Amino acid sequence: MKGLRKVLTPFAPDQSGAVSVLYGLGGLIVIIDAGGCTGNICGFDEPRWQNVRSAVFSAGLRDMDAILGRDKLLVSKIADACKKIDASFVALIGTPVPATIATDYKALKRMLEKEISLPVLTIATDGMRLYDEGEALAYKALADEFISKDGSLDEITLGRTPLTYGSDFADITLEDYRKIGPSTKVTAASASGVEAAKRLGIPYETFSSIAADLAGSIPSGKVLVCHDEVFGKTLRDKGTDCDIATFFTLHDEIKQDGDKKITEEDEFTDLAVNGGYDVIVADESLKPLADGFKGQWIDAPFFALSGRR
Amino acid sequence: MAGKAVQYTAAQIRDLGKENIPKELSGGHGLVYSSPATLAYNSPGAEGFGVKRAGLAVPESVMLIVAPGCCGRNTSIVSSMPQYKDRFFYLMMDETDLVTGRHLKRIPDAVCEVVSHLEKKGSKPRVVMICITCVDALLGTDMERVCSACERALGDGTRVRPSYMYALTREGRRPPMVHVRQTLYSLLEPMEKDPRSVNIIGNFAPLEDGELQKMLFNAGVKHIRQISTCGTYDEFLKMASANFNIVTNPEVRAAAHDMSSRLGIPYIELTRTYDVAKTAAQYKAFANAVGITIDISEEESKAKEAVESLKADHPDLTFNIGECLNADPFELALSLVRYGFKVGEIYAALAPEKFKYVSKLAELSPDTKIFCNMEPTMLYYDVSASRAHISLGKDAAFYCPDIPNIAWNSDIQPFGFQGITKLMETIGKIMKEARA
Repeated sequence: MKGLRKVLTPFAPDQSGAVSVLYGLGGLIVIIDAGGCTGNICGFDEPRWQNVRSAVFSAGLRDMDAILGRDKLLVSKIADACKKIDASFVALIGTPVPATIATDYKALKRMLEKEISLPVLTIATDGMRLYDEGEALAYKALADEFISKDGSLDEITLGRTPLTYGSDFADITLEDYRKIGPSTKVTAASASGVEAAKRLGIPYETFSSIAADLAGSIPSGKVLVCHDEVFGKTLRDKGTDCDIATFFTLHDEIKQDGDKKITEEDEFTDLAVNGGYDVIVADESLKPLADGFKGQWIDAPFFALSGRR
Repeated sequence: MAGKAVQYTAAQIRDLGKENIPKELSGGHGLVYSSPATLAYNSPGAEGFGVKRAGLAVPESVMLIVAPGCCGRNTSIVSSMPQYKDRFFYLMMDETDLVTGRHLKRIPDAVCEVVSHLEKKGSKPRVVMICITCVDALLGTDMERVCSACERALGDGTRVRPSYMYALTREGRRPPMVHVRQTLYSLLEPMEKDPRSVNIIGNFAPLEDGELQKMLFNAGVKHIRQISTCGTYDEFLKMASANFNIVTNPEVRAAAHDMSSRLGIPYIELTRTYDVAKTAAQYKAFANAVGITIDISEEESKAKEAVESLKADHPDLTFNIGECLNADPFELALSLVRYGFKVGEIYAALAPEKFKYVSKLAELSPDTKIFCNMEPTMLYYDVSASRAHISLGKDAAFYCPDIPNIAWNSDIQPFGFQGITKLMETIGKIMKEARA
């Protein structure tokens, strides 16, 4: 049945992706929720929260705030926090609640900018899309506000966040984004990186260091890689003859014959069991869906998919 | 103000009065800081018993979470526990569902598919809980009607009940953790009373087996049931035969009231306290109320001895106390101070009903500092001014990483003299280890 999950738990949502890009940049991040979404983000999806304090707050919405659309109250809460917290910008992160009441982010931004003297980023995530889309939206917001493309930064890797690569994430500062220029070497490490690089309009290359390290240990045969698209492409670039299947974005620039964007558990089962593959490279949380697969399974942990660190 | 966590001393709060508790301490007025306490509270799948685990407290039940993916994301933590294997299922909502509400029509099919899937594996459930979230709260979804449709679609007597994970209503009249308790006990059907049966209700893990149960057995009670100790759904249904309910958590009060009016089971409340004298007084009042004779002298002596032993070994022990623990942090602080210990800092939201503890604390320990976990300036909390030797509460370890910590937040609930004794002994043990 479409949308029914019997084995897998939900993947990292767009709002976690947006925070993943903005975390540690010195902003005051406000998740427009009642508290549960913030709990999921900081308490689960954001590993840096344990070690690096960052100004991530819940808007603390209550039912009447949502029903009556109390935007002025929200603006007042944020303006009050800005008096107490040192921040270089404010980011508003959407969740299912503002999506349900059709919050006007442009209006919210204008209202807030009248009250505070900081740049305001609004990211219209809704908790129903996937993390890579949220990351891409955050990169777009950063580009619109901070990236003038006339800087002199040597290189930058986009899309290497903890959600895709765990502890092997790229530590990027707001200053790095400001310094991106025409000569900056841009590397896209995941689907959101590809999206961000395309939007910047600067030539880029795709590369996943973790996939590159894994490439040498993959046996020959017909290989299915179920991970992020750049992870799969890097394996392919390193000589692995593989098809890519991904639950996340699959760009036309990367897609080849045999590659597939999948959504449902059954689609993966069909590929794994009936696809004729000798090797599957994927997070082992997918294994129960491949009952009947006789080949070799190579574990490729993918936190956004399994929540497994 | 920037760069410093907002704090008040117990004396300052007493002087301000119950009606003027600073809004920075009561929370709910501004943005909410992502502290361990607020994340644990707000992220029910991640810590303790939130709506998701609580909804599965009934034996032989499974849960279908009908929500945007973000709401079920952290359930993977719970799903990995052996007792929750094959018990969580998800029907993912998308943006079209949000606009059209079409997901509601798919729920009966999804429930049937889940039940059929489990039946094939030989573990057909007796109850399916449908967990819905803020989105359906705002859409005004009539879940009773949806659940009835599911029961009709199944047509085999499997019960289907709603479980509301509405964070938006957290401070409302029926917050989620109150509502879920009502839902669980609403499954009970009237049955013949057994005068020798008693229920202990309130928590989702058992009360530690101890003096309360012993007292009841000595008074002639044959069956003491708790939802968490019922091995089967049929055993759970026997809770409807109880002579009376003992309520150990105020969040179950509404459910107890329902059971009183619907099933004719009266209830009596017992409060967890870490004060030996108050515990003794409460047990005596309880015995009088239910007409039984109890002897608590042995347990009371043990608790007193445990306090005195800790005091003798560590006369100047200073505590910092969080709110993620099996205690009311203000009541615990007051009890510890009454025993002669010191409490340096408390990290907890101060609700008006807790003012009585702070007021008394101010008499004995006026300089105890109180911080609120929800206050945004907790981002700047600096532990360097604290002189505490040990912290209590899982969240307190976050603020005080360099001193010993006792999380004191096990699922199994400490209670009464036994709880006091165990806490004192644990503190003594941890301090001994720290000094070794």
